[in-house]
Amino acid sequence: MTEIDFDVSKVAKLALLDLTDDEAAALQRDLPSIVSYVSKLHEVDTSEIDAKAYLTDLSDVFRADVRRHDETDDGRDCVAAFPKQKGNALEVPGIFE
Amino acid sequence: MKTAIEMRKAIANGEITAEELVKASLEKIHAEDAKIGAFLETYDEEALERARAIDARLRAGEECGRLAGIPVAIKDNMCQKGHKTSAGSHILIDYVATYDSTLVHRLEAAGAIIVGRTNMDEFAMGSSTETSYFQKTRNPVDTTKVPGGSSGGSAAAVSAGFVPLAFGSDTGGSIRQPASLCGVVGLKPTYGRVSRYGLIALGSSLDQIGPFALTVEDVALALEVIEGKDEFDATSREVAEKHPPELLNRNFLGVKIGVPKQAFVIGMDEGVKARVEEAIEKMKNAGATMVHLDLPLLEYALPVYYILQPAEASSNLGRFDGMRYGTRADVPALWDSYRKTRGNGFGREVKRRIMLGSYILSAGYYDAYYKKALAVRTAIDASLTEAFKSVDVIVLPTSPNVAWTLGEKFDDPIAMYLADIYTVAANICGIPGISVPCGESEGLPVGLQFWAPSMEDGRLLDVAASYEALQI
Repeated sequence: MTEIDFDVSKVAKLALLDLTDDEAAALQRDLPSIVSYVSKLHEVDTSEIDAKAYLTDLSDVFRADVRRHDETDDGRDCVAAFPKQKGNALEVPGIFE
Repeated sequence: MKTAIEMRKAIANGEITAEELVKASLEKIHAEDAKIGAFLETYDEEALERARAIDARLRAGEECGRLAGIPVAIKDNMCQKGHKTSAGSHILIDYVATYDSTLVHRLEAAGAIIVGRTNMDEFAMGSSTETSYFQKTRNPVDTTKVPGGSSGGSAAAVSAGFVPLAFGSDTGGSIRQPASLCGVVGLKPTYGRVSRYGLIALGSSLDQIGPFALTVEDVALALEVIEGKDEFDATSREVAEKHPPELLNRNFLGVKIGVPKQAFVIGMDEGVKARVEEAIEKMKNAGATMVHLDLPLLEYALPVYYILQPAEASSNLGRFDGMRYGTRADVPALWDSYRKTRGNGFGREVKRRIMLGSYILSAGYYDAYYKKALAVRTAIDASLTEAFKSVDVIVLPTSPNVAWTLGEKFDDPIAMYLADIYTVAANICGIPGISVPCGESEGLPVGLQFWAPSMEDGRLLDVAASYEALQI
């Protein structure tokens, strides 16, 4: 079994997740064993294989730029679904301090 | 009257109305679901109103569609306009869908009556429906046991007789495994056969919507309604030849069935093994030719899956940041808001997989894990394509175990992941898979699984129906 280099706080930062101390400790314990389990893949010789990202043969799928069967007029439903809105606009926390 | 096809006939003959059917379904749910927990919500008034409208149209002699008046249920990750769609998660606790998924659109166009939404593992991550933020679902066959997952609510809803048809999504076995554990039929169609527009995504190269029912006939009826090209899902495909229930061919003569050596793993229940071996014997006696297969790469399907799926999930779930929908942690700074919203909103298993996916996709590990998994996936696909040159379908168990007691595997992620050992390869390779009941072990249902080549869903349904016919 290979040694797994896994730093929970670094990955949590990448994943944009606030973790409690208990959660971080549990993940630091569980994830290396999962990674170690999936590392079994390295037993397979894939040097001759041309890896495909998708197995489907579809490519360049387009559709006509027309209104959908259920599309409403002005996006009111989407605005209503915003966690916070000001009038017809999405309200978000400031990006600059 | 239990199946959708029986209900269709009864409506056509004037023996029952859509309203009566929907009312009976809702009454049964309200009387019995407190001990099962299949539904998160029912839409009583709306469903009855729609049923009355169908009845009126039928009385006027109108053609109302293949599922006219049939009560159905959908999983909580399928958008239905004006209704909550939470994907079993706290982060979407109050989210109301702003549009209909293509599934809902097609079901309603065919006259089906959606009576409610069913419980699921949070964002479909789980094999027991225990990771739902909202409630636990119990197996109707034995309420001390899990129903399987992640579409456990939909499987339980059919198994309990609440509705004849329910819909789930299958990313690594989430239709077939709960179907097996609850003793019903569950189909994962070919990747792309059913549009995923409006399905909350887990792993986009793996996800597929499909039906649960009591019979293969009903599954065929449901597939016929929901399948086919949809311009809103670029991965969806044209279905050149539909295979409705009327065309099911129940006959094993001339059918070649592959039995992979890898179908019987260490650690599987003896009872499951025995039932599957008996099923193979029965099919052989009915005229099928059994072909032994050695597919050593199948052993790597689960590790491939637990790289690709968390990687895709961590990317797909990036959109849940509290800005455009769902809950938002109310803190002033943007980046803190993202982290807190996600930290508070996601449950343990979802965080685990987002972390795993983020790790796998991070610099220095992408090639070693993600690219490697893509290469092994390509190799597994090639080996199955080769196998299908000599057999029509492949048979194997659906789940290595019967339903387990609630809580039993909850703290052991790898034990939980192993529940998918027989199902994930079909997702990885995009081929159709079906689970049909094949008896019991320890008083609990066992499922038999078949796979067919891509887009050969009709052949798969024929073989499953042929096996089903041997049981009766």
